[in-house]
Amino acid sequence: MNVSPSPSWKLSLTALVLVLGTTGELAAAEPAGGAGSQWQLHDGERVVLLGDTLFERDGQLGLIETALVTAFPEADLEFRNLGWGGDTVWADSRGVFDPPAKGYARMTKLVDELAPDVIFIAYGRNESFAGDQQLDAFGKQLDKLCVDLCHQDSREPSGRPRLVLVTPSPFEQQTTCPNADAKNAVLARYAAVIRKTAVARQAGLVDLFADWPTAAAAEASTTDGMHLSPFGYQTAARLFAAAAGRQLPDDWATRTASVRQQINAKNQLFFHRWRPANETYLFLFRKHEQGNNAAEIPRFDPLVAAAEADVRTARDALPAAGDLP
Amino acid sequence: MTLFSRLLTATLLALLAVAANPAAAQRKLTDIPAPNPTAELADMLVAEGYEVNLFAADPMICKPLQMNFDPQGRLWVSSSSVYPQIQPGEVANDTVTILEDRDGDGQADTHTIFADGLLMPTAVLPGDGGCYVANSTEMLHLADRDGDNKADQRRVVLSGFGAEDTHHIIHTFRWGPDARLFFNQSIYIHSHVETPAGVKRLNGGGIWRFLPRSLTLDVYARGWVNTWGHAFDQWHRSLVTDGAGGEGIYYGFPGAAYQAAVGTPRILHGMNPGSPKYCGLEFVDGPHLSDDDQGTLITNDFRANRVCRFRLAEQGSGFSSEQLPDLIRSRRVTFRPIDIKLGPDGAIYIADWYNPIIQHGEVDFRDPRRDREHGRIWRVTAKGRPLTPRIDFTRRSIPELLNDLATQSAYGRDMARRVLWSRDPVSVRQAVTNWLAKLDPAAASFDRLRLEGLRLFQAIDRGSVSDINQPLLTEVLGSTDPRARAAAARIAVDWADRLDDPVRLLTSTVTDDSMLVRLEGVRALAAIGGPEAAALVLQVVDHPRDDALDYAVWLACRELQGDWLPAVVAGTSPMSTNPGRLLFAIEATAATEAIPAVVQLLQSDSLSAADRNAAIDCIARFGGPAELQLAFKAAVDPATPPARTAALLTHLLESENRRRVQPAGPLTGLERLITAANPAVAKAAIEAAGRWKVETAIDALARVASDTKRPAPLRLPAIKTLGQFASEAAVKPLDQLTRDQSTAMALRIAAVAALLNQQPQVAATTAAGLLADPLAEPNQIAIFKAFLSRQGTPAVLAAAIEANQRPLPASVASVGLKQLAGSGRDEPTLKATLKRLQGGSEQPMGRRSFSAAEMAEFLAFVQASGSAPRGHEIYRREKLQCVKCHRVGKEGGRVGPNLSTIGVASQPDYIVNSLLEPAKNVKEGYNTLVVLTVDGQVATGILTIRADDIDEESAGTSLMPVGLVDQLSRQELADLTCYLLGLGREGL
Repeated sequence: MNVSPSPSWKLSLTALVLVLGTTGELAAAEPAGGAGSQWQLHDGERVVLLGDTLFERDGQLGLIETALVTAFPEADLEFRNLGWGGDTVWADSRGVFDPPAKGYARMTKLVDELAPDVIFIAYGRNESFAGDQQLDAFGKQLDKLCVDLCHQDSREPSGRPRLVLVTPSPFEQQTTCPNADAKNAVLARYAAVIRKTAVARQAGLVDLFADWPTAAAAEASTTDGMHLSPFGYQTAARLFAAAAGRQLPDDWATRTASVRQQINAKNQLFFHRWRPANETYLFLFRKHEQGNNAAEIPRFDPLVAAAEADVRTARDALPAAGDLP
Repeated sequence: MTLFSRLLTATLLALLAVAANPAAAQRKLTDIPAPNPTAELADMLVAEGYEVNLFAADPMICKPLQMNFDPQGRLWVSSSSVYPQIQPGEVANDTVTILEDRDGDGQADTHTIFADGLLMPTAVLPGDGGCYVANSTEMLHLADRDGDNKADQRRVVLSGFGAEDTHHIIHTFRWGPDARLFFNQSIYIHSHVETPAGVKRLNGGGIWRFLPRSLTLDVYARGWVNTWGHAFDQWHRSLVTDGAGGEGIYYGFPGAAYQAAVGTPRILHGMNPGSPKYCGLEFVDGPHLSDDDQGTLITNDFRANRVCRFRLAEQGSGFSSEQLPDLIRSRRVTFRPIDIKLGPDGAIYIADWYNPIIQHGEVDFRDPRRDREHGRIWRVTAKGRPLTPRIDFTRRSIPELLNDLATQSAYGRDMARRVLWSRDPVSVRQAVTNWLAKLDPAAASFDRLRLEGLRLFQAIDRGSVSDINQPLLTEVLGSTDPRARAAAARIAVDWADRLDDPVRLLTSTVTDDSMLVRLEGVRALAAIGGPEAAALVLQVVDHPRDDALDYAVWLACRELQGDWLPAVVAGTSPMSTNPGRLLFAIEATAATEAIPAVVQLLQSDSLSAADRNAAIDCIARFGGPAELQLAFKAAVDPATPPARTAALLTHLLESENRRRVQPAGPLTGLERLITAANPAVAKAAIEAAGRWKVETAIDALARVASDTKRPAPLRLPAIKTLGQFASEAAVKPLDQLTRDQSTAMALRIAAVAALLNQQPQVAATTAAGLLADPLAEPNQIAIFKAFLSRQGTPAVLAAAIEANQRPLPASVASVGLKQLAGSGRDEPTLKATLKRLQGGSEQPMGRRSFSAAEMAEFLAFVQASGSAPRGHEIYRREKLQCVKCHRVGKEGGRVGPNLSTIGVASQPDYIVNSLLEPAKNVKEGYNTLVVLTVDGQVATGILTIRADDIDEESAGTSLMPVGLVDQLSRQELADLTCYLLGLGREGL
């Protein structure tokens, strides 16, 4: 969480802000509101994925990100995955040595530093374990998160990042996940709050909960009843693309494997950049001992940038759909 | 948690993490031996009757972190060359290797890389068709589906573990006899793990337990700094070591909390105070090793290059532990034993991480001396004793495996269990039933074996009603051996959802003769919960109990508060008539809602005098204003004996300090106590008058303050308390005292300090006058301290000094500057004044440093003419105050780093530098914290302050005052160094 921008990072941020000035206006020109509203990604945009294990594990599997990269072939996109296991709209996983509120502040600051054009927000499942009694609080905090992330109170609409809210996929009945129906009954009410917030904040929506296929599938969607299996991630990836009005071909996952490989390599580098091990010594209360080693961390930036280029090269090298055997 | 308490926690964490300040001096390490295994072996001193051989070494393995055997007798080793931190551009390619000794000659002859591409795999545990691996922020399962000894399937089992410190990430994997995977995390880790039953969080150190089959995850015990060792005895009791703690062997049970546990106000302690830093833990339990060794614990002091032994004895609800002579000692700085296991042949296997550098907090991540390629597995055998025949447990039939449970070999029992868990549950259940029927009830092993049978039912439980065995559980709960009864109580928790009446089943545990059974019964009932369980738990209070049992009940009261408190509040609880239980529960939870029930209890005629006092004490500690009034009235009642009055006033003051609650109504009667003959009563009353701002007490306070017949220890607090009142009646006597030549100087200065609150200018003028007079240094210090501890007044003092006609002597200015520096405050005005008066001619006080050449010369002098006994005398000198803050063995304070082993852990130049310039090598957690309280007080050093009293805080300098050794001669400094250098070498 302690990404202190290096000079080069700052420079690129400045450049991005300049770009944002124009893309922001473009964004304002397109329809932004409405329930289940369409959303689009544009050339040169930076996307932040913020949420719980759904995004954290996609940082390793890369299926959702690959779907978006290849569903928008006309756009060069940059993704920054800030998923964190066990997290909630209160940033319960991000406090580290501090209370969650401080982790929340660091998270929003980090998102600001990344200067995204679009932020996907995927929360609600972990919160749903507290049942209906926390539903109102969840709604209020999700709304606050939306306001804080796009600086609703202080920025002109054209200067705000666009938001896309994501509902959790349903629980799946497994031996490790008994009573899935009861869990889903609660989760449905959390999903409804997310939908309502998307409307209120004129955000886009990916409705994994409502749109998840109900027909029996060849494989389990989850590894344990709640976390998506590679098969489940493919389903989710399709729903992400479909929510933007883009259909992925059936053989999509296999034919984009080369892109996914580069995306995963890039995400691993970015993980070491934004959530490095040994934070205690690099940035926190023992930094007087090994804080000098923190100089290594910004050295991931050029590696991430090079990996981004590799993603694009791999994407550009993909055969057109019709060329496949 | 408030910011301040978090900060305190973090400070405490750091304090514990560096308790013996061990490896900082590794920065100076220059003498690194060649990595030759033969030479390393030759440097080992091995205990009589044992011999050591090399089982495996680099390049077969590198940097082993954990090792575990599988039921085929193969050794799985996780290794990392990436540790401590991945470099930009580096590809994480750490490994899990399988080592095999096929010909049984005690040396690994094959090695297979089972998996690579890992990131700092701090643990590996074979099981479920592959192995579980700790991979930084996640637990993986790597499976080998085609049987080629290479992982071909990688699955994230759990994720969301913290990596704030890479020697704290999840580690120490071990199968429990209940088929749970136990694993640990260390102090700086914050984990947030999603499971289908919700998010499980653990901040700080602790032990997790995890049932892979159901993904059931929970925290088993909390705390410790580096929980790097965990072993089970034959009865499933946990023993734990800490790689940075200082209390040897710890006893673990569900809910136990030890040092540095986050969010727990009460902790337990290890069994060997002063015995630091052990990594890895194993029971000696196997026929190859001698009868004398059976049941002993073996562990590694990686820091002092030795393998240690402990012997346990049953005691109360747990154990006592005694350290035995070492198994292996080495002078070789690279010998770093970190894991220890008994192997398939009965020998002891030791993973040697092999590294001259053991830290990455203290030593640079990229220090070139960090070894990244070597590593050894040593094998220790008992001379002349037959090896245990090696068995491939995977080829055993179910009946054979059941018979293996009867062997006197922990290795054999563990492997047999693990294979049984993987067999068809229906067949195992049937076979266990048959096996149990054939056990001889008269045999000494009967209770243990029957428990093993019960455990199998527990381990292969798939969650259906027919999977549990209530009759067997009931039988084992009635075992002759208390250890079996205790273990059964824990098993009942797993089955509570399907047992007919689990609470009734556990009823007898709370009155069991054995404290161990009561402890496990209490923990089990707390896990099951409900009003009946809560009532049973509190029955334990009726009888004597040791610390662990008392803790267990205390914790249960807190966990079950919702089960007992409502009935107490409603007046329907039978507890309400049992003072012992009621008061214990309130003390445990600080449940102020229950205080009316205590007031009610006081109406009872049958209450004994002791219970009555306990009830009033409880009211004084936890009551609201109206209830505190009752306690206050009891305190001021002339019929109350003075000792009781003092105790009650102390409790009431605590309520004021901790909770900001004070007795309602007029606090009359206090003035009588202020002038009471009993000094404890008078002192408490004086403090109370100040805390409660009792105006009617001012005259009494003034009388005590000015009464020359009264002792200073009473006059001083009276003076201080008067300073809290603004009225003329309070200020006037203070002013008089400051000017009264016949009054002792310490009291006059106290009066100056007290006057500061109301009349800073007057106080400063008086102080400036006093400082210009000839004045003993302690009195000068007291004056400066008074001003430095009151916000805004140092500048007033500076003005008064400037205005005073008699100039301040340069020596006094020096004293003031030293106090200013030590306070950590930035007071530019006072500093400028004092600097000017000091004249700038004197060197800064207490600063002296050695150049490299001077250091070398001095260290040679230490070696030639230093005397440790003389050094010990110097160390104990009151003036130096070493003992006040530092601990050596069982003696000394806990403010500074524990020095018990500084001689082994630190290099000589580091020690000398730390003496001369404490601030140079200040360890995190040992710097001071400057705090401004809401009432304008500034405090520095070790303090206890309510969090909401804090207005502002900032980091100060080292806790160790500068210049402590200034008065020492060169010879004395050499002696002191010599003494410190010898600390920790006694055992080597």
